[in-house]
Amino acid sequence: MSPALHLHDLSVSYARKGLALDGVNLTIPKGGIVALLGANGAGKTTLIRAVSGLLPLHNGQIIRGSIDMDGQSILGLPSHKLVRLGLGQVPEGRLVFKQLTVEENLRVGAAVLPRSTEKERMDAVYELFPRLLERRTQAAGWLSGGEQQMLALGRALVIRPRLLLVDELSLGLAPLIVSAIYKQLKLVGETLGASILVVEQNARLALDFAATAYVLERGRITLSGSAQEVANSDVVRESYLGVAKEGGKA
Amino acid sequence: MTATIPRSGPPRATSVSRWVWLALAAAMLLYLPILLTERQIFGFRLSNMMLLNIGLSQVNLMLITMLGALSLNYLTGSAGLISIGHAAFYAVGAMTAAITGSQWGWPFPLVLVAAALCGAVAGLLAGLPSLRVRGLYFVLSTFAVHYIVVFVFMEYQFKFFDVVGVPYKNATLGSWNLSTPMRWYFFLLPLVIFVYWLLRNSLGTREGRAMQAMRDHELAATANGIDVRFLRLKAFALSSAIAAVGGALYAYYLTNVTSEFFGIQFAIQFIAMIIIGGMGSLPGAVVGAAVWLLLPSIINGLTSQAGDTTGLLRSVLVDHKPQLVQAIFGMLVIVLLIFAPWGIAGMASRLKARLTAWWSRS
Amino acid sequence: MLIQVLLSGIALGSIYGLVALGFAVVFKATDVFNFAQGMFVAFGAYFAVTTINLLGLPFPLAVAAIIAAAAALGVIIHIVLIQPLSGRPMLSVIMLTIALSIVMRAVIEILYGVQSRTLSTPMPTGIFIIGDVRVSQLHLVAAGVSWLCMAAFGAFFKFTSVGLLMRATADGHEAALVSGVNVKVMNRLAWAIGAGLAAIGGLFLGQLQIVSTELEHIGLLALPAVVIGGMQSIPGAIIGGLLVGLIEQLSATYISPKSSDILVYVLLLMILMVRPWGLFGQRELGRV
Repeated sequence: MSPALHLHDLSVSYARKGLALDGVNLTIPKGGIVALLGANGAGKTTLIRAVSGLLPLHNGQIIRGSIDMDGQSILGLPSHKLVRLGLGQVPEGRLVFKQLTVEENLRVGAAVLPRSTEKERMDAVYELFPRLLERRTQAAGWLSGGEQQMLALGRALVIRPRLLLVDELSLGLAPLIVSAIYKQLKLVGETLGASILVVEQNARLALDFAATAYVLERGRITLSGSAQEVANSDVVRESYLGVAKEGGKA
Repeated sequence: MTATIPRSGPPRATSVSRWVWLALAAAMLLYLPILLTERQIFGFRLSNMMLLNIGLSQVNLMLITMLGALSLNYLTGSAGLISIGHAAFYAVGAMTAAITGSQWGWPFPLVLVAAALCGAVAGLLAGLPSLRVRGLYFVLSTFAVHYIVVFVFMEYQFKFFDVVGVPYKNATLGSWNLSTPMRWYFFLLPLVIFVYWLLRNSLGTREGRAMQAMRDHELAATANGIDVRFLRLKAFALSSAIAAVGGALYAYYLTNVTSEFFGIQFAIQFIAMIIIGGMGSLPGAVVGAAVWLLLPSIINGLTSQAGDTTGLLRSVLVDHKPQLVQAIFGMLVIVLLIFAPWGIAGMASRLKARLTAWWSRS
Repeated sequence: MLIQVLLSGIALGSIYGLVALGFAVVFKATDVFNFAQGMFVAFGAYFAVTTINLLGLPFPLAVAAIIAAAAALGVIIHIVLIQPLSGRPMLSVIMLTIALSIVMRAVIEILYGVQSRTLSTPMPTGIFIIGDVRVSQLHLVAAGVSWLCMAAFGAFFKFTSVGLLMRATADGHEAALVSGVNVKVMNRLAWAIGAGLAAIGGLFLGQLQIVSTELEHIGLLALPAVVIGGMQSIPGAIIGGLLVGLIEQLSATYISPKSSDILVYVLLLMILMVRPWGLFGQRELGRV
């Protein structure tokens, strides 16, 4: 069975900033949850952009390597085609449509679906996030950070993606809310049979959530393995989990 | 351009060869008007085609327009401000010249000084919006200023003169009357060279360099204690003063102008010129003005053979030559913007840089 | 009579509002300040001369042809000129549109000659007399059609799914990409609409005034309209257009015909100094 996502020897360069990813190999097994860790500027977002076709928007280019989704190459495909192939994305910073209502935000996400399934899918999202149902006619710009995160997630989930990319879910949110969202994400993943790639600066959360993990440092994968292995490695313990004690700064 | 930037590459040409090049250039520039008037060289007759259909009066117009292009590129290169309505300052100059020269009878040199002063004041006023807004909004403000200035000129024209236009008497410097293209040439050429030198020096001063360094940074307003916003106003004033002088000369050269001469169409020509030549650089302004001069002549030359075509082709090549020139001019701008946004002068300097690098490697 | 002046101001203002709306749609969707919008208006007028007067097509067919041709022109321009410059500074793109207007003007003059032309259409040109007030029928039709188009666009924008996708694209380019919106198509649609609306404006202005490349200047009044109303605001563009029309007519009648446009530009300058985001726009830091 081909993996949900397979990056082979991927190298990406930006027009003005130079090499951002160097020979990256990464695999997400079908139905698996993978965490991608790394400091700011390590290249995590670049990797997401490369997969989801957003590199041209940021003056980036894939200079080497391959990207396969479910065994098929998706290199160079434009974003809207990828969404139709089942790629869902929850971008860094949420990127909800601030002037559209919650309902409209979801409808945009659902636009690629056939009309008949639209209502049912949207109802599924509302069931998952009742808060969104309460706020369905409010402009997304007025929602709290956590609600916006739910909205961004819901917008990606409405198409029942096969592969879900989540970039920096925890940024700017209270830990309790983040945990809650991750719990639901796990549930959704299992129900849909979706494969999930989670990019996080908050290593603890990510390693609790994922089954396997990769560590990205300055464009290169420096460590990979099961979440537990990675969590127990010295490097990660020192750099990402805080020295010594458990329960240190998250 | 500044002495403090360390240079790498081949050793610079020795001063002797530099002087030789300068002397050659000077000789060519001095001989040019004779060449264009006599249209023969060492007894060998030159056809119109060989001279690219250029006459001395066109070269003079180019020199006058070059003042505008230089001033605009100076503004863009130093302060990073784009003035779409730069032709408005030509109008200011022409109007000042009309008042001081045609109405009050001041001597020509004084008229030019007055034009420069009024241009500077107008530039200060027009530059005020740059203290509040930048980028697109500032460009729009210059657009509005242009319409207003041209309107004022139109009102002036109809109040004191008539629909035929504002007349200008012959220009005289002391007892020397600028009555032939040759005399105009020998007046304009040193003037343009002087302006070029003046602007280049201004770009090289400490203030000039500070301004350029801050050019694209909207948030940083001061550098080394110099408030860059006021430096920008100064640059605008200088740029408009020069453009106003250009406008006064334009008026005197044509001996009669109307407000339509300074419309947005003319203003757009300047923008097109500096894009073709290369935005923000003084050589770019020279190249841009030269292209503006050469293009109509070249096209006239190329299409002169088309006298017996018919239909659409005839309409394009014979009946509407000015439009053809404009169409090609516009397309040239578009092509350059897409493929070579640094203009022709920019392409030349990149080529030079590549050759330099190649030279130093071999 | 004041009422008459106000009525023609509103009528012309409605047309300007339509052109300004087209302008705003393009700006909101693709971030391009299209200086060639004035030439799209002229294009509409000239194409009308061709289809209605020269080819003698039945009026409804001619109008459809004009809109289709303008829309196609808008799309082609987006593909050939605007797309290659994506990612470039806004001012470069503005200069591209200025150059485009130069080329369009020259091409129109080559094809149609420099003499101005008259446009005669089956639209009513008579005058309604209501008491002391004389109302031009053509003004009424122009205003009516403009408002219809603006309303139709509003309905499309707010209530259809394509309109929703366009609003989403205008709200956030990257967000739209991430959500699976085909942003390229949305941008082209925006340009098609922008050019189409301008051409309709040209159809009316061409008959109300005279068909010449000077229509560009009238079409360019959409620029101050959009800025005064608020560049990112669609209702703002429409109101800006009405304001410009009213100011134009009022100054033409009570000051002098030549001064009709100048107050508009003075107002534009004042707005830029005091409230650059326009009457209905929202302040956006670091926008340009």
